[in-house]
Amino acid sequence: MLYRARHVTRYVYESPVSHSLNEVRLTPRVLDYQQLHESAIRVEPEPASFQFRKDYFGNDVTTFSVFETHDRLTTTATSIVEVQAEPATIEPAVTWEEARNEIANHTGPGCLEALEFVFDSPFVTTTPELLEFAAPTFTPRRPLIDAVKELSHRIYTEFHYQPKSTSIEMPMIEAFRLKTGVCQDFAHIMIGTLRSLHLAARYVSGYLRSGTKYQGAEASHAWVSVFVPSRGWQAFDPTNDVLPSGNHLTLAWGRDYGDVTPVKGVAIGGGGHTVEVEVEVRPLAR
Amino acid sequence: MGFQQLSRRWQTGIQVIQSNGITYNVYGDPQGKERPWPMDPIPLIIAEEEWVFIERAIAQRAQLLDSLLRDLYGPQELIHENRYPPALLYGNPHFPRPAAGIVPRGGVFLHAYAADLARSPDGRWWVITDRTQSPSGMGYALENRLVSARVLPNVFSQYQVRQLGRYFDAQRNGLLATAANGRSSPRMVLLTPGPNNETYFEHAFQAKYWGLPLVEGADLTVRDNRVYLKTLAGLDPVDLILRRLDDSYCDPLELRSDSLLGVPGLMQAVRSGTVTLANAVGSGLMETPAQMAFLPGLCQRLLGEELLMPSVATWWCGQDAPLRYVLDHLEEVVIKPAFARLGHHPYFPASMPDGERRELAHRIQAEPEQFVAQEQVALSSAPVRTDTGLVPRHVSLRVFAAWDGQGYTVMPGGLTRVSTADQSLVVTMQQGGGSKDTWVLGSADEHVSPSRPMNVEVDARRNQGDLPSRVADNLYWLGRYTERVEGGVRLVRVLLPGLSGEEDFGRSASLDTCIRLLTGLYLLPPESPKLSLAQQRWQVQRLLTDMVYDPARISGLGWNLKQIRRLSWRLKERLSADTWRVLQELETEFARTPPAVPEQPPFAEMNLLDHAIFTLSAFAGLLMENMTRGHGWRFLDIGRRIERALQMVELLRSGIAQAPADLDPYLEMLLQIADSSITYRTRYLTTLRAGLVLDLLLADEGNPRSVAFQLSRLQKHVEHLPERDETERYPLEQRLVLKALASVRLARLDDLALRESAGQLGDLERLLKQLRTDLTELSEALTAKFLSHLTPSRLSGSAWD
Repeated sequence: MLYRARHVTRYVYESPVSHSLNEVRLTPRVLDYQQLHESAIRVEPEPASFQFRKDYFGNDVTTFSVFETHDRLTTTATSIVEVQAEPATIEPAVTWEEARNEIANHTGPGCLEALEFVFDSPFVTTTPELLEFAAPTFTPRRPLIDAVKELSHRIYTEFHYQPKSTSIEMPMIEAFRLKTGVCQDFAHIMIGTLRSLHLAARYVSGYLRSGTKYQGAEASHAWVSVFVPSRGWQAFDPTNDVLPSGNHLTLAWGRDYGDVTPVKGVAIGGGGHTVEVEVEVRPLAR
Repeated sequence: MGFQQLSRRWQTGIQVIQSNGITYNVYGDPQGKERPWPMDPIPLIIAEEEWVFIERAIAQRAQLLDSLLRDLYGPQELIHENRYPPALLYGNPHFPRPAAGIVPRGGVFLHAYAADLARSPDGRWWVITDRTQSPSGMGYALENRLVSARVLPNVFSQYQVRQLGRYFDAQRNGLLATAANGRSSPRMVLLTPGPNNETYFEHAFQAKYWGLPLVEGADLTVRDNRVYLKTLAGLDPVDLILRRLDDSYCDPLELRSDSLLGVPGLMQAVRSGTVTLANAVGSGLMETPAQMAFLPGLCQRLLGEELLMPSVATWWCGQDAPLRYVLDHLEEVVIKPAFARLGHHPYFPASMPDGERRELAHRIQAEPEQFVAQEQVALSSAPVRTDTGLVPRHVSLRVFAAWDGQGYTVMPGGLTRVSTADQSLVVTMQQGGGSKDTWVLGSADEHVSPSRPMNVEVDARRNQGDLPSRVADNLYWLGRYTERVEGGVRLVRVLLPGLSGEEDFGRSASLDTCIRLLTGLYLLPPESPKLSLAQQRWQVQRLLTDMVYDPARISGLGWNLKQIRRLSWRLKERLSADTWRVLQELETEFARTPPAVPEQPPFAEMNLLDHAIFTLSAFAGLLMENMTRGHGWRFLDIGRRIERALQMVELLRSGIAQAPADLDPYLEMLLQIADSSITYRTRYLTTLRAGLVLDLLLADEGNPRSVAFQLSRLQKHVEHLPERDETERYPLEQRLVLKALASVRLARLDDLALRESAGQLGDLERLLKQLRTDLTELSEALTAKFLSHLTPSRLSGSAWD
């Protein structure tokens, strides 16, 4: 399926800003099942400089600075992306304990890279509560994929999805206790639960096709990818209880939200600010 | 030397520490920000042969950690070869991902390194901790040396103690070589988190020692991947930042976004190779205690050498065999977090109740990679002076190494730290321990390779305009507060005799005059002149006592002195030791407690105030005299002139323009406050006339206390300030001063002193009011153009559904 994705971020400042520096991760990644045909980032007012680099996790990062005095800043990222359904999972019989041990010993292909995603990270701190939460699902010798599917399903059913109920300043464990949150809380909770078992899980930032029945289609979305030894990474979307397959556009991945924040910056002056975000992902006719 | 003699000598040491303002901030200390540096007079002495070994071992370790950083932030070969456990890197909170892949400009990760060493009672040395982010203590080590050399001069020279100075030169050479990297006249700055940091004293000290600008994050800005220092003259490019800021605070854009101490965009500038950060961002990784277990193997692999000095025996629980050992020998070890964390104290399982120890064992088993066990080193002791005699205390030694351009130079000496309690094994300044000087014996020059010549050209005469804006701002306000205190003291000193109880006090300050003048200056409520005599006396008494003693009163001397203290602390690296001593004296003078019976007129304070005037004059004189006539000095004087002019305008308004028809007592009082009685009498004999007093205090450009004098000085100052906009013929600040000066020069003083039909001096009042507005606008214009600092804020543009 071919998509056109448009992501607009607009800051409005209370008082003029003399300059601002910004870092965005808005260029979709190129993957086996995702091709990038076009990608552009426009900023108003015109930045004095644009820079591109790849970060530690291989994501495309764009940085820009605006040096003229301004009271609003609009960033528009547009891309044309082709996404195929991810290959149907051949459920390997690897149990979750085997997966855990193989990653710890990092002998198999991709395991060393996966080790990056086993430990606590700034937004995801494991606690005994998460281990307890995992226990009924991760029963001895259960196949990994099977258990992760059930974990995703349990988060979907046991947690209440409520837009604007949490902010990114709120620690993941608070959302866990409240059993309420938005997509990045659900992703962080699932990652934390998996990591409390020493499994490798990463945070994926991206978009959902608009106009679907899915939650989170009108803004940035986030889901989880789990490392399955001898197969690779498998994505799960606990917010919608699905395996992403043709309707999820991948922007970037990292250990948690902090590594892949789509849009962030520092403004000099300006006092407070409000932000408006619009995301639209439409299928394109060939 | 006997104990008595040592104690007597030590009095000198305590004085040196106080008057040099050597302090250390202890978090959560009720005494407030700074407290005197705790030092013991008896140095720790290390023999020549022993030192040769320490020197080699520390230089080797610095080299090893630098190589280790180069690999872990680069190809990570050691991870792939299984020589460095991946968990120690990937699970380490001190591995900032944005720093990975950056090779520092100049190639060196570790410019400064420190290690805490322990000597076991059998004389063997061990490394207990590695300090690699922005090691502190070398400034204190040097200050300890200055103190001990003054207290024990004979012993010092007799023993042939090696000098510390060359070490600082070597470090400076290394920094300059890196900063230059092909450029002439490189610009280096020292980046501090600010005056609240526990080692701010040392930041100021280091900046002063090497002549670097001491800057905070907001003084720097990044444009087009280049770091600039914001100065009065504009933006000045920076080549090297010696940082005393932790890794995670350096750049709020790429690192921790909840702190704005750093410089947004700094990482990108470092990445593009236009600036060097010393030490490199991410070097805090080398402080990981668990890593010590792997250093012997890493030293073989990276340097092809045996590790010379062992680390304290370390077992990282993230591996099976060490974990089993630790659980079996729990009572023999100290348990620490595997990754360095501030505020985490070690556990001593041997002294734990059984239940707690079992619980600790469970926690270790649940998250083994989070724990490290270390052998409890039996520290050797050294004698320490207490009030009752010499007692033995445990000591540890912090030693320092610096990149000198070709290798690592080790400071011949160090900071010896002393445990607080007799038996305590905890040796840390943060918890209030003590310190000692460290004497390394030997014939100095034999061991130090001749100082390497510096190949870097240094521009000795930099542009005057390179003064950081924030420093100019602090100097400006220091000038204003100093003048404000002086004005306050002069006012109180003249008004106090009015409280003598004698109603007829001739033409000097009577109670009524006092009351009306103070009411006019808004120091007393408007209804005061109508109160009964007793009430009035009580009110004035109360006000003057408060002004002298109440530290919370905004118009009071104590409060203003506190501001002076605050600003001086921020300017510490720019003030001379003498200036600092006088400031200390001023504070002591005003730190007295108020008299027990507040009803008594505070005449006793007259002596205090008289003396305060001397001390203040000394402070102001030293400030002005010891500062080169650059923009710093200019802003200090601008502050004084504006404040003095404003005070005089207010005095003239309250004491002449708004005073009753019988002006004589007011005129007399004004002349006294302005220290101009003698001039007036020599010039005009004894008749007091408002027009003449106005001439002397308002318009006479030769009287250093007159408004006109201040304005004409201000005019010269603003003409010499750096040009910001060439197209402006007369910038705002010049126009404001010109306008004010012209209005005073053109004023017809005799007319101003004439009363209108309603008995008022309306013209004078209007003139004074306009002068006040002009001066306030001048202050604002200068601030907006040269001194202003906008605060950064973070933008979060992510909305989620």
